[in-house]
Amino acid sequence: MIRKPISRTASILWGVSIWVIFFTAWELAVIFEKVNLLLVPPPEKVLTALYSLIVEGNFLNDIGISILRVIGSFLGACVVAVPLGILMGTFATAESFLNPFVSAWRYLPAPAFIPILLMWLGTGEGPKLALLFIGVVFFLITLIMDYTRQVRIELIETSLTLGASQKRVLWTVIVPAVLPNVVIAMRQMLAVSWTYLVIAEIVASTTGIGAMMMRARRFLHTDEIMAGILVIGILGLLFDLLFRWMHRVFFGYLYNNER
Amino acid sequence: MATNFNKNDSVKLVVENAGKTYTHNNGSTIDAIVDVSFSVQRNEYCVLLGPSGCGKSTVLRMVAGLETPTTGRILLDGKIIEGPDRHRGMVFQNYTSFDWLTVNKNVEYGMKCNGVAAREREQIAAHFLDIVQLTKFKDAYPSQLSGGMKQRVAIARTLANKPSVILMDEPFGALDAETRWNMQELMASIIESTDTTVVMVTHDIEEALFLGDRIVFFSGHPGTVMEDGPVEYKNRQRVMIKEEALDLPGYIEAERHIMALMRSQRQEIGG
Ligand SMILES: Nc1ncnc2c1ncn2[C@@H]1O[C@H](COP(=O)(O)OP(=O)(O)O)[C@@H](O)[C@H]1O
Ligand SMILES: [Mg+2]
Repeated sequence: MIRKPISRTASILWGVSIWVIFFTAWELAVIFEKVNLLLVPPPEKVLTALYSLIVEGNFLNDIGISILRVIGSFLGACVVAVPLGILMGTFATAESFLNPFVSAWRYLPAPAFIPILLMWLGTGEGPKLALLFIGVVFFLITLIMDYTRQVRIELIETSLTLGASQKRVLWTVIVPAVLPNVVIAMRQMLAVSWTYLVIAEIVASTTGIGAMMMRARRFLHTDEIMAGILVIGILGLLFDLLFRWMHRVFFGYLYNNER
Repeated sequence: MATNFNKNDSVKLVVENAGKTYTHNNGSTIDAIVDVSFSVQRNEYCVLLGPSGCGKSTVLRMVAGLETPTTGRILLDGKIIEGPDRHRGMVFQNYTSFDWLTVNKNVEYGMKCNGVAAREREQIAAHFLDIVQLTKFKDAYPSQLSGGMKQRVAIARTLANKPSVILMDEPFGALDAETRWNMQELMASIIESTDTTVVMVTHDIEEALFLGDRIVFFSGHPGTVMEDGPVEYKNRQRVMIKEEALDLPGYIEAERHIMALMRSQRQEIGG
């Protein structure tokens, strides 16, 4: 029925069944040898590959490095983007000054900077962190600026007519009002950060999940490559859940609708 | 139950030949109001009434200091108004609760801005929460409150800040009918028990007649004062209960008169 809700159980069943279909199709394709087993290993082989990568190999180390790269560069991007975004969404002068610059950078695809970053920053952590930073920071600034502009003018004006100074309005109205959306913006951009991480590690790295996948490619270990994809997916999901949880914990006042 | 409102016959607020021309982004201009003059006595409940779009909000915002008049001037206690400050507290039609603060902290907010000590803040907030009957909800967050309760928080927050004039822009316009008249009676009793001057915008005739000591009626576009005078049927008395107002002998005539004014303006706008 158009726009008619379905029950929660039905919704979950539908959601699970698409995965069941997917894995069954995969399994059947392997069993009936419709695919080259070298290129498409059966699902269970991906799991055993993951297990041996962790137990026998150094995969946990790679995962740890990847997570640190994402967190490190993302924190850097937040430290720059949150104050700038809030200032640009609050003061017309800040917006006029910075927005032409910020929007121009948004149109440049971050991977285009990889060659020059490698020349400037060598082959250590520098270029990877820089790529992740560039890929995220300008979008984050813009998102936060837009969310700041959406803080209702009546809230600001109420505060002014209660006697608040400009500075106090900024700190006690604009900042707390936009903060829940800042966390939402972070959640959205963290997913993008994972995308650039994989690019950075595949193109120019000997450590990390992406690098492990490129090594596996050399030895035709498709099961290990797929294990890498699986881990990246799971990590992305976990970080997303972490941010959802933080939103609920920090901004509980938004959730307690009783009337 | 009725009392005389004219405890002190001194002029509080003067609007003198005020005009406001807005300039749009594309350079075109619009005269929202021209040559508006009226004055409000101390402790008076002044209602601005008129068809929609005639510039009532503009006048109120100029008094608040949120807009500057293009021509003329506005004086509070003899001083020209420059920018918003604590002496003219505003209550908007849309909810303005600070969602991240409890009801109690919302009410304390203005006092905190103005350096009132914590102990005193607490006492004053408790007093005004009692007046608006929200003591039970002092530790709740606004998202747990109904629309009428949120508006009561906004009123308590403004009152607790002891402004010289309270400005209200259709404060009950978003509420359902029953909540609205409850709020109107609450407002009547608040004004009676606190020494405040109120300027309130409304387009609800019944509300204007029940609450107002004086009604300033605006003509349509560009807005200007068409009629200005005390609400006669109450004989300069205040009424606390709505039915009492409706039962007074002059009520129907007063209502009919204002409806005629409204209609004349509406027809002019309709062409
Ligand atoms: N910020 C603004 N910029 C441009 N025009 C405005 C602005 N605010 C109000 N106006 C115009 O001024 C006129 C009066 O508006 P307003 O004061 O809101 O009237 P009312 O409150 O009586 O409905 C309207 O024509 C409106 O479109
Ligand atoms: Mg209005």
